[in-house]
Amino acid sequence: MIGVISYLVFFTTVASILAIAVLGLNLQWGNTGLFNGGVVAFFGAGAYATLILGGTPQADHLGGFELFYPLALLGGMLAAGLLAWLVGVLTLRLRHDYLAIATFGVAVAFETLMRNAEGLAGGAKGLRGFERPLREALGDGFTYNLVFLAFVLTLLIVVYVFLGRLIRSPFGRMLRAIREDEVAAKSLGKSPSRVRLTAFVTGSVIMGLAGGLYATFYAFISPQDVLPILTFQIWAMLIVGGAGNNAGAVLGTFIIWGGWTASGWALSRFAPIEAQLYTGTVQFILIGMIIVGMLMWRPQGLLPERLVVSQSGKPENKHKTGSRR
Amino acid sequence: MIQSLLDGILVGSILSLGAIGLTMAMHMLRFANFAHAELLSIGAYAALVFDGLFSALFPPLAAAIAPLSLTWALSLAIIISMAVTAGSAILVDRFVFARVRAIGGELSMVFASFGVALVLRNLISLIFGLKTQLYSQDIVFAVVISADPLLLVKPDQVFALVAALVIMLILHLVLSRTTLGYSLRAVAENPTLAQVSGIRLSRMIALIWIIGGGLAAVAGVFYGLTNQISPVIGRDLVLPIFAATIVGGIGSIYGAVLGGFLVGIASNLALVILPSGYSPAVPFLIILAVLLIRPNGLFGEARE
Amino acid sequence: MNGNSMKRAGFAAGLAAGLMTLGNAAMAQDCTTKIGAVLPTSVDWGRPIAETAQYVVDQVNEVGGVAGCQIEMVLRDSQVDPKVGVDAAKALVDLDGVKVLLGAVSSGVSMPILTSVTVPAGVMQMSCCSSSSAFTTLSEEGKTDGLWFRTFATSGVQAATGAMVAKEQGITSIAIMYKNDDWGQDIGRIIAEDFAALGITVTGSVALNDGAPSYRAEVTEALRGQPEALYLALYPKEGIAAVREWISLGGTQKMIVANALKSDEFRDSVGLQFLGDTLGTDTASPRVASADAFVTQYTDRFGGAPNGPGLANSYDATMIALLAMEAAGADATGDEIAAAIPRVTDPNGTPITADGAGFAAAVDVLKAGGTVQYQGATGNVRFDANGDVSAPAVIWGFTEDGIEEKRYVSLEEVDAFIASMN
Repeated sequence: MIGVISYLVFFTTVASILAIAVLGLNLQWGNTGLFNGGVVAFFGAGAYATLILGGTPQADHLGGFELFYPLALLGGMLAAGLLAWLVGVLTLRLRHDYLAIATFGVAVAFETLMRNAEGLAGGAKGLRGFERPLREALGDGFTYNLVFLAFVLTLLIVVYVFLGRLIRSPFGRMLRAIREDEVAAKSLGKSPSRVRLTAFVTGSVIMGLAGGLYATFYAFISPQDVLPILTFQIWAMLIVGGAGNNAGAVLGTFIIWGGWTASGWALSRFAPIEAQLYTGTVQFILIGMIIVGMLMWRPQGLLPERLVVSQSGKPENKHKTGSRR
Repeated sequence: MIQSLLDGILVGSILSLGAIGLTMAMHMLRFANFAHAELLSIGAYAALVFDGLFSALFPPLAAAIAPLSLTWALSLAIIISMAVTAGSAILVDRFVFARVRAIGGELSMVFASFGVALVLRNLISLIFGLKTQLYSQDIVFAVVISADPLLLVKPDQVFALVAALVIMLILHLVLSRTTLGYSLRAVAENPTLAQVSGIRLSRMIALIWIIGGGLAAVAGVFYGLTNQISPVIGRDLVLPIFAATIVGGIGSIYGAVLGGFLVGIASNLALVILPSGYSPAVPFLIILAVLLIRPNGLFGEARE
Repeated sequence: MNGNSMKRAGFAAGLAAGLMTLGNAAMAQDCTTKIGAVLPTSVDWGRPIAETAQYVVDQVNEVGGVAGCQIEMVLRDSQVDPKVGVDAAKALVDLDGVKVLLGAVSSGVSMPILTSVTVPAGVMQMSCCSSSSAFTTLSEEGKTDGLWFRTFATSGVQAATGAMVAKEQGITSIAIMYKNDDWGQDIGRIIAEDFAALGITVTGSVALNDGAPSYRAEVTEALRGQPEALYLALYPKEGIAAVREWISLGGTQKMIVANALKSDEFRDSVGLQFLGDTLGTDTASPRVASADAFVTQYTDRFGGAPNGPGLANSYDATMIALLAMEAAGADATGDEIAAAIPRVTDPNGTPITADGAGFAAAVDVLKAGGTVQYQGATGNVRFDANGDVSAPAVIWGFTEDGIEEKRYVSLEEVDAFIASMN
């Protein structure tokens, strides 16, 4: 029983961290219509910067500034924000499939840099030498995980509430106005490019926070953590949960990550012994089929966006997830 | 330097073949199909199966066509493989994409294609195993075409390039000279108007998959011939093919051809400038550079 | 712990285990002990590693299992994704209650499992194949609690043996191609230093990335300096692609390869006619008959010799873990199992072979309170304080019917050679 609780605490921590990143993406895609194909670059920037700033000195790479943990985490968010600003200035005027591939390229370039620049980030063997905050006081075990979960959940709630307010604010309305009809928004004297950049940077800072927490939890980060599969996972969570809806984003995260891990567990337990070696492959087939099935059954996501409009000037917006261009 | 350029062109022809199908689907069906590169895997494995079958049934066919490592059996297998791959593409469209298209938006399609890619890739590895396979164990030596500067080309690669160019020419003629081509282009320009003038959309969609699948099969076999076959062909090639499509401009077949060569050359030349560890980033830096100057790719049109 | 108290503890544990087995003799086969494995079964080189681990478990179960219980290996795919691997490890530890975890392969997966799952939970982790030097550092900092072991010899010996081969062959210029991961980067860097120390010119050092559609450009780059020989630290998939390109472009057939290319797949796909001048390095099996027995048995079971990256290492990792479980007795904790490792890898212990019969023999010795020396598939494995192994080396070549050992290099010889370079 204690094992089950211990596992659930662990699972919830990882899922909550991912949920924060999904919320960041929801601001960019769900509310602003920016197709960010490079989520993992901003997540990774947060993770690497947090460990570099907060870690102990290491002989062979940059870092070991031993900053006070909250400062290191803020530094990680800042790093993600700076990267997003740079990328945003260069690419946000692109049409969205072009934007997707351009940002995807940024993520690949980020991973490549981390893998090769040993002096900067430890190279392929990754970045270590980070002391988890409060480890001395709490030890390494269940208590630590419980306290860390509380910390992560608090931040998840803070981000959730912040985004909820942001979306209901005049700024949030402007985001949706630009998403739906850029020309109209422009004609009303708004500056779409500035607003979009703000949303892009804000979303990326939130992803950077998620990355920082992720690296803190494992006290380690390596190029293997920032492969494109993570971008895909985070997108799948948003699409399944419901783009444009924050509650949906969180729900989608728990469902996809839960399904991802539970399918592996179930196969290891119930598949016949001769088939055990093939379960990894079978699991990927299942994951693919779940995603396809979901899109065939409910493409708008489990909790679709509820449009907050003061007066409806448009016909019903049925195909939320993709009809804009 | 010149060698890298040459290598780039030879590798690029395979990317071009893949990119043509992708750009057509992206333009006419309006979604980024991440499963497209899996069609190359299907093509490569289908050819492997029929190559083995033909060689076993008619041993004389197993002889290589000098100076290539390509056998008569494999040449026949390519044709069957084109049909198998086109058929699979139509099936996937019928069972998945058509349904998602009916109820979901563009992004649903993109993610559905991701899911389809995962399923196809892992089905292939379940059936054929994870190991690397080859059409022919022989290694055909490269031919020296110039001693100073030293220039080497492999006959198989030259064959792949020439064949790819011929196929592209045929495609060009079909699209620009036949009624079929006109209909296809009409659908691409304006689907609603095309339907009004009596073109059946479903038939055109099938045609896109036939062309895209057939070309992908050829690209897959050529890739297998000049490199090797493994279940992750799709995963390894999906990004370069996308890069080629985007650089060329979505919807432009000529752009896709050029894009393929550009990406091939760029990734070969990159090593002259950068340490080889950084090479995966190079195609994307090219994309970024192209898009900064031309936001819709080289031959793409703004589409609102 | 000094030798005396260790012996006493070992004796006590052995006695306890013995008594327990006696008591449970009637119901011995009704119990099952679970061990966990987190391995990349969905990756080409990962699946055989998992297969080998399962093979060891089957062998041990045939001779009665561990401490009278059958072993069930719960296998999870790591997908080479750290998040997925860590979650799988956590589930194995918390939900299945395993005390021993085998895995992972990639250092990037093993490391977070170690820091956030196994060490906090006091579970012993035994990896076949993680090679990063970061583990040694971590252990030196005292953060592994003695729970971490790996049967993959550190890259220093591998590189030194490669350099030794190059020197003996009278090679004066060489190009290096390495896999761009933690293992390849490590070995690529070390061997470049070794070559330089020996006065061999390195004409180029080229990293090969995973999943690149073609290695043509990399090969062209390596060819540029027109080296006399080529050093390869690659896995079979990229090895096959790169070497086929290399040979077709007229590159030298004088190649020196690291252990990951000791693979039948590589030999068959490249072709023996091009590999006549290729010499490889690996950690060595002991100079005893049992090593041949292992190869024979393995060949019978899988229809091919244990030639492939990490197979022998995986065999030893699993077998040593099970031996340690046996030595620690039923219901031992992860710490106790880890502490029992020296009892099964004792250089002065009774030698036992790497097979089911060897395990059965070990059971008897351990029950009597003795210690055993496991003569494994990779040699007489012995861990240092950081859980690292250093093993003697062997130089091998490809032949008609597989892979043939050319020369055995003892640990002393390797050490002397390394010292001579500095």
